[in-house]
Amino acid sequence: MPELIADVLVVGGGAAGMRAAIEARKQGAEVVLLSKVHPLRSHTITAHAGINGAPAGGAWQAHALDTVRAGDWLNDQDAVEVLCQEAPRAIIELDHMGALFNRDGQGHLDRRRLGGQSAPLACYVNDMTGHYILHVLYEQILKSAAKCCDEWFVTALLVDSGACRGVIALELLTGKLHALGARAVVLATGGGVRAYEPSTGSLGTTGDGVALAYRADVPLMDMEQVQFHPLGLGRNGGLASEATLGEGAHLFNKEGQRFAQAVAPGMAELAPRDLLVRAALAELEAGRGVDGALLLDARHLGKDRVMTRLPQTREVVKAFTGKDLAADPVPVRPIAHRLMGGIHTDLNGATPLPGLYAAGSCASTGAHGATRLGGNTLAEAVVFGRRAGTAAAAYAKTVAAPRGSDALLKDEERRIALALSKGKGGESDVRLREELGRLMMEKAGISRDAAGLQEAVRGVAALQGRYAQAGPRGPGGAFDGGLVAFLELGYTLEVAWAIAAAALARAESRGAHWRRDHPERNDAEWLRHTLVVRGAEGPRVEFRPVTVRQWRPERRAY
Amino acid sequence: MQVTFKVTRYDRATGEKPRVQSYALDLPEGATILDGMMRIREEQDPTLAFRAACLRGVCGECTMRVNKSGKLACVTRVASIAKNNEVTVEPIRYIPVIKDLVFDMEAFLWRKIKAVEPWLKPNGGASDREHVLREEELAEVRKAMSCYMCGLCDEGCTVIAVDGGFLGPAALTKAYRFVFDPRDHARVERLRHLSEPKGMWDCTHCFEANGHCPRGINPTDRIFDLRDESIRRGVKSGAANQQVARHYDSFVASVKKSGWLDEGRLAIESEGWTNVAGLLELLPTAVKALQRGKLPMPYLHRSRPGAEQIRRIIERAEGKPS
Ligand SMILES: Cc1cc2nc3c(=O)[nH]c(=O)nc-3n(C[C@H](O)[C@H](O)[C@H](O)COP(=O)(O)OP(=O)(O)OC[C@H]3O[C@@H](n4cnc5c(N)ncnc54)[C@H](O)[C@@H]3O)c2cc1C
Ligand code: SF4
Repeated sequence: MPELIADVLVVGGGAAGMRAAIEARKQGAEVVLLSKVHPLRSHTITAHAGINGAPAGGAWQAHALDTVRAGDWLNDQDAVEVLCQEAPRAIIELDHMGALFNRDGQGHLDRRRLGGQSAPLACYVNDMTGHYILHVLYEQILKSAAKCCDEWFVTALLVDSGACRGVIALELLTGKLHALGARAVVLATGGGVRAYEPSTGSLGTTGDGVALAYRADVPLMDMEQVQFHPLGLGRNGGLASEATLGEGAHLFNKEGQRFAQAVAPGMAELAPRDLLVRAALAELEAGRGVDGALLLDARHLGKDRVMTRLPQTREVVKAFTGKDLAADPVPVRPIAHRLMGGIHTDLNGATPLPGLYAAGSCASTGAHGATRLGGNTLAEAVVFGRRAGTAAAAYAKTVAAPRGSDALLKDEERRIALALSKGKGGESDVRLREELGRLMMEKAGISRDAAGLQEAVRGVAALQGRYAQAGPRGPGGAFDGGLVAFLELGYTLEVAWAIAAAALARAESRGAHWRRDHPERNDAEWLRHTLVVRGAEGPRVEFRPVTVRQWRPERRAY
Repeated sequence: MQVTFKVTRYDRATGEKPRVQSYALDLPEGATILDGMMRIREEQDPTLAFRAACLRGVCGECTMRVNKSGKLACVTRVASIAKNNEVTVEPIRYIPVIKDLVFDMEAFLWRKIKAVEPWLKPNGGASDREHVLREEELAEVRKAMSCYMCGLCDEGCTVIAVDGGFLGPAALTKAYRFVFDPRDHARVERLRHLSEPKGMWDCTHCFEANGHCPRGINPTDRIFDLRDESIRRGVKSGAANQQVARHYDSFVASVKKSGWLDEGRLAIESEGWTNVAGLLELLPTAVKALQRGKLPMPYLHRSRPGAEQIRRIIERAEGKPS
């Protein structure tokens, strides 16, 4: 019998999960916030540059048009409207919770311009915006007295009679599995970009929630859209924040040219990321890189500005490259950054599975389309986190406490015991992960074609097969990090397969999805979303129309 | 690079004594301590337990003691710290260990953070508008709030070393963030709370916290700022504990009168002149002090030179507007 632990069980302690939990508490729900790392260690902490929302008196429509244009018209415009209309209020709410956004000369919220923005949209706290948002939300969690289960790892959803009624989770402290019943579950487990290697993901950005929903037959939307970031620092996901470009830093090739000016004359380095990344790749392929990298130059900003506005970026750059952002050009190269796609939800975070909600980077409301505007992820997390919290709390009032048997828990126990038993002699999951990351980078990376994507699909399927025969090396039990990594790889493989399948299906180039063999955007056939659904033999790709409202498709030019 | 990791292993579940285990590794140039730990877990010893999250030195999760100094493992390069191709990796000090490099942060830090009521107590402001604030009002609060909650300042704290109950520099830095946030209305209430025993007055200004903080937050200075503010606001210690209040009052009265501390009077006044039971408890201590020649007889407490000046300083401080 799963024990009822909450009306609303939120899985994930990042910005989206905490915002959902705070809202559900406000609605009077009993809330449990469960996370595989302490909430303050969530990936949101790494967000640097800012959170978008139109200024008071400014028009949210300008933000919306920037969003749609960056998304290459693949956005669902009703979701864009919600995002851009509600983001300003969400930011003010954060200010009232205690976030410490930078101010302009008059003492109002200052805004900086990030890639793809026609006017400054991003509120920021130096170059640690995510840090402050995460810490302030956590303060509110403590105030709300929501119950926290830190370091619990979800291994499966409890689905019974066609509804989600809780989760199965591993308590890392003891190594025990528990069935946790809840009237409603909100997934806020973040992205899955670690399907690529290297990527900017934190250790746990492994697509867990995306795969959990998918395994429960919830469709995934726009999975082919994978954003790369131009300012990667090489190994382990180091990244120079886009705040550098927002503050006015430049990108140079070997010949000292600002190559971004050629692809986006009006915006140069502030073009959306996909354009910048393709331009960077072209430079590198033409041999105009310096040791396989381009140069990020912030020297002309002056030491003062670098120290006050970009202090953390300076630290990160130093740690990863040994360079001083204020004094040296910094070598950067494109790196896998985040998925635009995820669990398909409506505007309230509801998935097609009753009782299951999703918000933040693991979800896809359709707001982002084919390229996420820098600064929109944090906005999405708080706007749709709040909505999902409200909706889940309301739903929880309408359903009885979950009943059901121990069968699912027993199944999971058996599954994990079986994996553990295979670990000793079998193949190393660490090698499998490395192979997966390389495969995805090479065959489903920045530049794609049908042949490569077919290889990617076959390759991931083969890795799935090998994974099924492998197991973690450790004994199980308390704090077995190898077991967690092994289970995470299972999730990442599902995500990778969905990405490759959707990318193969979309025979056009749009936003981040760039097909060498179909270099043009094709609205007549492809102004529609991909929906990846789990089938017996792997993913099946279906389609869904795009919601177009006031912004008719145009040619995308900057 | 050939290097040996000497890792301290312990498991609370078995309770056996900690032991050091050596692992020989061949790591690429530029590898970090965390890379080494991962490699050990993957290739040599899957039972090794440790934590990590962001992989870029910004989340505070992978705190370890490497070659006897507290570090974030994910941004500490092996080459920069190895001595004779060796590194030692141990849990940070004064923290209950659960398993290997996984420790009980709740007991060490989180409970102390929670004890300062770490949420804004807003002083109003129209909810549909942002607060209008000057950058100068925010800069220091922002700096304090850039804390990673890594615990390295508490690890270096010389008071926590002898008294695990001390609130410590990390929690006090968290408190600073609210006390000096112009949007918080509970400044005095917070200062009163921090003035209780085990709070900010227990800091001995050894400045270790400043040296240990990877963010340059200078937690020791934050503690000074809190103390200054409480003096400025006339906040006295001991709101929740009469004995503490009497102790501090007697302390000040004594120094004000004679320019230095009258310890005999302090002991008696802290207990309270009418508290017979408490006074009786002092007796054995007094007898022992007498036996060891620490209690001069007859007991006279003379004013020290400059007492007048000291009195004026104290009165000046007391006269500050609250
Ligand atoms: C370097 C960098 C810079 C960025 N800069 C910006 C920026 O300037 N502006 C912007 O808008 N965005 C930015 N982003 C993106 C943004 O940080 C994240 O995408 C966003 O914060 C995600 O929030 P989230 O709440 O959806 O998920 P996360 O913060 O990733 O949280 C996921 C949570 O789910 C939990 N979890 C996951 N799986 C499980 C499981 N199986 N069981 C239990 N718990 C689980 C985790 O523990 C975690 O608490 C940046 C990203 C990076 C990497
Ligand atoms: S004040 Fe500095 S040392 Fe102390 S917990 Fe915060 S970041 Fe770590």
